[in-house]
Amino acid sequence: MLSYLLAIAIITLIYLLLSFGLSLQYGSVGLINFGHVGFFAIGAYTSALLALSGVPLFASFCAAALAAGLTAWPIGLISLRLRDDYFAIVTLGFSETVRIIIVSEKWLTNGVQGVPGIPRLFSSLPVGFEAQLATAGLLLAVCTLAALAMWRIIKSPFGRIIQAIRDNEDALKALGKDPARFKIQVLMLSSALAGLAGAFYAHYITFIIPEQFVPLVTFYVWMAIIIGGVGRISGAIVGTVLLMVFLEGSRFLRDFIPGVTEVEMASLRIGVIGLLLILFTLYRPQGIMGDYTKR
Amino acid sequence: MYFAQLAVNGLVQGLVISLAAMSITLVFGIVRFPNAATGDVMTVGAFSGLVVYPMTGSLLASGIFAVIVTAAVALISHLLVFRRLAGRSVVALLVASIGVGFVLRSIMGLVFGHQPMVFSMPLSRPYRIGGLAINPLDLQLALLAAVMLALAFAVLHLTPIGRQMRAVADNPSLARVSGIRSGRVLAALWVLAGAIAGAGGVMLGVKTVVNPEMGWDMLMPAFAAAIFGGIGSPAGALLAGLILGVVQEMSTPFVGFTYKIALSFAIMLVVLLRRPTGLLGRIEGVR
Repeated sequence: MLSYLLAIAIITLIYLLLSFGLSLQYGSVGLINFGHVGFFAIGAYTSALLALSGVPLFASFCAAALAAGLTAWPIGLISLRLRDDYFAIVTLGFSETVRIIIVSEKWLTNGVQGVPGIPRLFSSLPVGFEAQLATAGLLLAVCTLAALAMWRIIKSPFGRIIQAIRDNEDALKALGKDPARFKIQVLMLSSALAGLAGAFYAHYITFIIPEQFVPLVTFYVWMAIIIGGVGRISGAIVGTVLLMVFLEGSRFLRDFIPGVTEVEMASLRIGVIGLLLILFTLYRPQGIMGDYTKR
Repeated sequence: MYFAQLAVNGLVQGLVISLAAMSITLVFGIVRFPNAATGDVMTVGAFSGLVVYPMTGSLLASGIFAVIVTAAVALISHLLVFRRLAGRSVVALLVASIGVGFVLRSIMGLVFGHQPMVFSMPLSRPYRIGGLAINPLDLQLALLAAVMLALAFAVLHLTPIGRQMRAVADNPSLARVSGIRSGRVLAALWVLAGAIAGAGGVMLGVKTVVNPEMGWDMLMPAFAAAIFGGIGSPAGALLAGLILGVVQEMSTPFVGFTYKIALSFAIMLVVLLRRPTGLLGRIEGVR
């Protein structure tokens, strides 16, 4: 039971890294990124493939963050030239293209068969509980750092600038600030976080296939930050925990309700997520942890 | 000759993309957000057609039924969701449309399951015209699409409501002060957009297999065609869809089957960065 809870905690923390990044992008600079899972996939494959070819895990994790962060750079340049909604479509296309490349380039990624046997973190510790605990601890540390970084960014002069970008980009330009650079930096930072999350994911699950990196993952994260409240650390945490309760809870529910197949449950899960996205945008756009005084 | 054959096959694929792109571009031109539920409305159309087809054995009857169902679905989504988000940010509409798409996909998955289904069409010998093999089924599908397109353009250009729609697309505030009742116009728009998507869905279902994810996979090429054609321009969407279909099909020998989807993404990116007005669009801010 304890190791099950620990497993859930690890997955929750991985999703939390994704939520932090997306929340920072949308909540601060107003970027609508529908391709977050693409950076997650780049991180997962980078670290997994490097580790399998003998690179130490510390280096492969850094490489994962770096690869995802650098990929975000041209995307950021594109974002400067497009309106929000067009950027959303482009990023969605980007993540699908990443997946198609993973599927097609079999020499590198083994295509749809996926990459098995990825080394675990802390393999020197006895297999099982201790290694899991150490992984969770490391993730918690990384998430705390990410939260601190996010908090710093939101509260710093830099953060006030990015909030101003969201509120009125033209006024900011007139004041002589360069919002473009901040936009790109935020995108690169949060994509690097997504890449790191991907590395943790790959080395925790130890087996990755392209099917794990479908756009649905992006929208899970969107659901988490919309429910929790965009642009807030507390919102990202509450939303991610609720997302996990929902995803895991629906698995348990199936054990209690006989006659519901796994595919039916998957359909139901998508339906509930869709409904929540609609209801929250209609009735509570600021999320659970959002500002109650505003609407 | 091989490439000519691919081009002919591409035209039918292209018509499907065209219909999807037209549905997107109509909504985008007037309600001003990219409707991500379009693909899933197509899925609803395909399943509706699939229900009627074994009963009647007529492609036309299934097409008509599907179009009625999807028009209703689109109208309901407008009344329940999108109308209430009027005046809110693009993000709100976009996220809500993803939600609507998920709900539709979930309903399709629960009702029909995830086993891929097919329209069991009788096999027929292809016509041979100067070495080109043309499948009679493709011809029927093209005809179905042509009827839908003709209807759509007739509504847009020959009826008062269509004229009002174009007026709202052009300049919403001018349209309002000249006494156009936007509520009616919007309702008509959603019915039209839903009907077009439904026709596309039936075509896609006949050409490939019907499953709850089929429409979502069409979304990328459809967005690409809508942008390539010029947002808000139905004729542009039609043209761009056809071009995209032919290019995708003809590139398959070079880039392989999987990469042809990425091709539409590349085309979209180039158009957005180099010529954001697309083929027939007007100058409008995409930046």
